[in-house]
Parts: sequence; C-alpha cells; structure tokens
Amino acid sequence: MARFSINLRDLVILVADPSSYMSMLIHSMLRGFGSNKVLEARSSTNVLHILTNQKIDILICDSRLPPHGGLPLTRAIRRKQDNANRTIPILVMTSDGRETTVKLARDAGANMVITKPMSPGSLYDRLAWIAFNPRQFVDTPTYFGPDRRFKIEGYPNGIGRRKGDKAVEIGEEAGPALAQGDIDSLFSAVQTGHDS
Amino acid sequence: MSSETRIFQVDTNFQQMARRPGGIARDRAIERAEVEITGVKVGFDEWLSRELAELAAAFAAARDNPHDATRLAEFKNRSRQIGDVTATMRFELLAFVAGSLCELLDSIGAGAEFPVEPIACHLDALSLSARADFRALRPDQVPELTKGLRRVVEQRTSAGL
Repeated sequence: MARFSINLRDLVILVADPSSYMSMLIHSMLRGFGSNKVLEARSSTNVLHILTNQKIDILICDSRLPPHGGLPLTRAIRRKQDNANRTIPILVMTSDGRETTVKLARDAGANMVITKPMSPGSLYDRLAWIAFNPRQFVDTPTYFGPDRRFKIEGYPNGIGRRKGDKAVEIGEEAGPALAQGDIDSLFSAVQTGHDS
Repeated sequence: MSSETRIFQVDTNFQQMARRPGGIARDRAIERAEVEITGVKVGFDEWLSRELAELAAAFAAARDNPHDATRLAEFKNRSRQIGDVTATMRFELLAFVAGSLCELLDSIGAGAEFPVEPIACHLDALSLSARADFRALRPDQVPELTKGLRRVVEQRTSAGL
C-alpha cells in the first residue's frame, strides 16, 4: 500500500478513554502527527454532550468507555437521525482483540478497530486508511454505518504494539485474540450475499 | 435489496481535509509522536503511584465483596488501564505483570472463588516493578519473578478454577 501523508491540522478530533493518562498519550501521538484540535472525554455521556454542541471530525473511543461502553455509544451515534455527527469516522480502541468483539464493533458502525496498546505507526496507518478509503454508508432498519460488504486492496500495515517492541504479553484473552491485520481484514472482507 | 435499504456516498470533512497537501509524512510523524510521548513521561511516576493505590483499593473492595460483579469489573478495568499505558510507554516488566494480572482476573468465572493470594502476589510484583531500579527491566531479565507469576496463573487456569 502506498504511503500517504495525512494533514490533521484544524480537524477536530475527539478522544474518549476512561484513563486520563491514556488519553494524554493518544493526544501526544496526534500532536506529533500535526493535530492542533484534540478534545478529550472520559465517558460516553460526555461524548454525547460534546457531539450535541459541536461538530467533530473523527471520534477515537475505547470499547470499554463508561458507563455504557464504546460500542453502544457508536450505535447511538449512528442511529440518531438528526445528529450532524452521524457519519463521522469512528475508530474504536480495544484491549480485547477477540473476533467477537471486533465484529461487534464493526456491526455497531465503527469504521475501524485498533488494538491496545497501540503504536504511533498503527494509529497513523488507521487514520490514513480512513482518510484515503472513503466508504459508502448503508442505512437499513437494523443498521446505519459504513458498508460492511466492500473489499479494498491494501490494508494498513503494522500491529497494535509499538515499533521495535518485543512480544510482551498484555494478558491473554479467553478465546482467540486477533492480530491487527486480521482485525483490518474483518472490516474489509467481501461477504457475498451478506445482508447489511 | 430491500426497498428500505439506502446506500449513499459519504465524503466526510475528515477525509476531505486529511487528504489536503501539507500533511506530515508517516515516518516523520511517527518520530514526532515518539518525541511527544517521551515528553509526557514526566508525569508518569505520579500517575503510576496513584493508579497502584487505586488498584489496591479496588482489590480490597473486590476481595471483601467477591460476588459483586461491579467491583470485580472495576478491578479488571484498572488492571487493564495500567497494562495499556505501561505497554505504550514501553515499560515491559510492568506491562507483563499487569497483563498477567488481567489474565488471572479474566479466569474468574461467575460465582468462582476469588483468588486472593495469587492476586496479592501480582500486586506485590507490580509494586516491585514500579520501583526505579526495576522499571526499565524486561521480563526475561527477572525470570524468577515472571516465571513465578506464569506458574500461578497457569495453575489456576489449568485447574479450571
């Protein structure tokens, strides 16, 4: 996949994570990427309040955002018909790399899932992928969000860990955890006959 | 396709603006991000001390109320957050211990016995790993500690407890 440069200047990025320090780390990465407008939220309630009052350009939220979780939040954003932020890109962060979790995020309307701990390279690649691979949206009685049926060529490289890290176990999940590449594939696999 | 299905193109503001010329190239952006991350290490000690204290409190609450799912979830979340941050900051030993604790907590099934001693071992290991003379170590540099924790977790998970 060709390497693209992304210009994050003046884009309003909302980072939603229950950990203030984790938010600060992500904010640091984004600042390094050239971002100058980053908002932070600690809860899904806070996110919805922000979305009601201003236009956001992209949401990066943790799957375990209290009190209801990042996936119900994603679904709520996608289902709210009068919300100007309804079609914003949503990047879900998760420590839980199981296939079931990734599929749930996709089916809630997330554009992409990124595993924690994330590396700057992994975050940059996913932002670039969202920027340079516009997707159709699907609106049905049961789903609103990016088309889950399309196929793209070339997925972001890199894994959720930092460049140069040795393999460090962060905790093995019960059930198979997916590598970042497998997660990316789930978001772009062709599913013939799949009803979105 | 159902008549209730609508498919439409979306070119969001993010996509339009992110594609503008003048963006920072990937390798340079990553270098800059690494520098920024290094800059926030200043507050790490204070954050870690606070988180370990909160984790100990969450452990006590979960231990005293072993069937309270909310307290166990809080304990798990705190462990996971420590693991995520320490791994991102490249404190490998801390991340290893936090990860091992997360694995132990994930093995607690509904109604199962709360493994006080194995958890206490992990909390002690976290405190040790947080010390200045241990923090920069890798898991393979303290095999007695890491193998011991692995044994504790494997005994529990293999016993199906």
